[in-house]
Amino acid sequence: MRLPEIERGDSLRSRALIRIISMALGARLPDAARVAFYHKDFVGPVLGAWTQDAMRGPSEWSVAERELMAAMVAKWNSCPFCVGAHRAIAVRGMDNAVADACLTDYHTAPISEGLRATLAVLETMTLHPDQLKAAQAQAAIAAGATRQQLTDAAAVAALFNIITRYANALDFAIPTDAEFEKAAAMMLKRGYA
Amino acid sequence: MSTDAGARHRDHAEALRAAVAGDTGVTETSLRTAVSARAAGGPPTNGPYDTLARQIGEASYQVTDAEVEAVRQAVGSDKAAFEIVMSACIGAGLTRWDAAARAIEEATDAPA
Repeated sequence: MRLPEIERGDSLRSRALIRIISMALGARLPDAARVAFYHKDFVGPVLGAWTQDAMRGPSEWSVAERELMAAMVAKWNSCPFCVGAHRAIAVRGMDNAVADACLTDYHTAPISEGLRATLAVLETMTLHPDQLKAAQAQAAIAAGATRQQLTDAAAVAALFNIITRYANALDFAIPTDAEFEKAAAMMLKRGYA
Repeated sequence: MSTDAGARHRDHAEALRAAVAGDTGVTETSLRTAVSARAAGGPPTNGPYDTLARQIGEASYQVTDAEVEAVRQAVGSDKAAFEIVMSACIGAGLTRWDAAARAIEEATDAPA
């Protein structure tokens, strides 16, 4: 973590929370949670509310599919923390092999055509946003995604274009696979807010 | 965007944009909005802020200790540096949201 006060916590309450949750988790509290506890007067609560809504709110996408989209954005943005964290949550609701096939090459992964075309929209949105045109969104609709699904997916991708950037810029410590597993269980139970 | 999901997410996006430009930060609002715009591909800003914001926008995995430390030195605290980092990240994310919202709004339901 490049800013040590985020790692320590900026109040007695946040330092106590970091300690207590780490003990309950049986692992070091991931840096993503430390950011969520830090400087809560600023953007954190607004960002947390949107993330909770996009990832756990009503949607025609399953929680696992939304977590997979988060991991895909992380892959495109070269963010190993978010790939590990969100793959670990996704595979609690989908086959490991499907998630890994998607992360290797979503063009050939055994997923629905609607999801595949939606991921193509998210890839362009992430890597070449100025090239994203109505025709690509229309192609996803033709492949079976609804307009509402596309909008929900775009919200997930927008959020993870934010989250992956601060994970990288702040140099989040990378948990072990076992720690990602423990954190995934916590994230499914407690969510993002 | 006319769907309920569109309205819901649009409201969240605008709340986030407003939070970056709001008065709850320890740094100047004008600095935060300049950094946010820079990471979204906008005009250059000053010194270490410009370097970090551009890097966050274009390739956040290449951000270095020195780039973050230069901003921390310039603003004087971890909290202020955190605001600069977050403003840049949110600028990059929201410009992508805007692009996607436009594309979805303009798409028709007819086969492509």
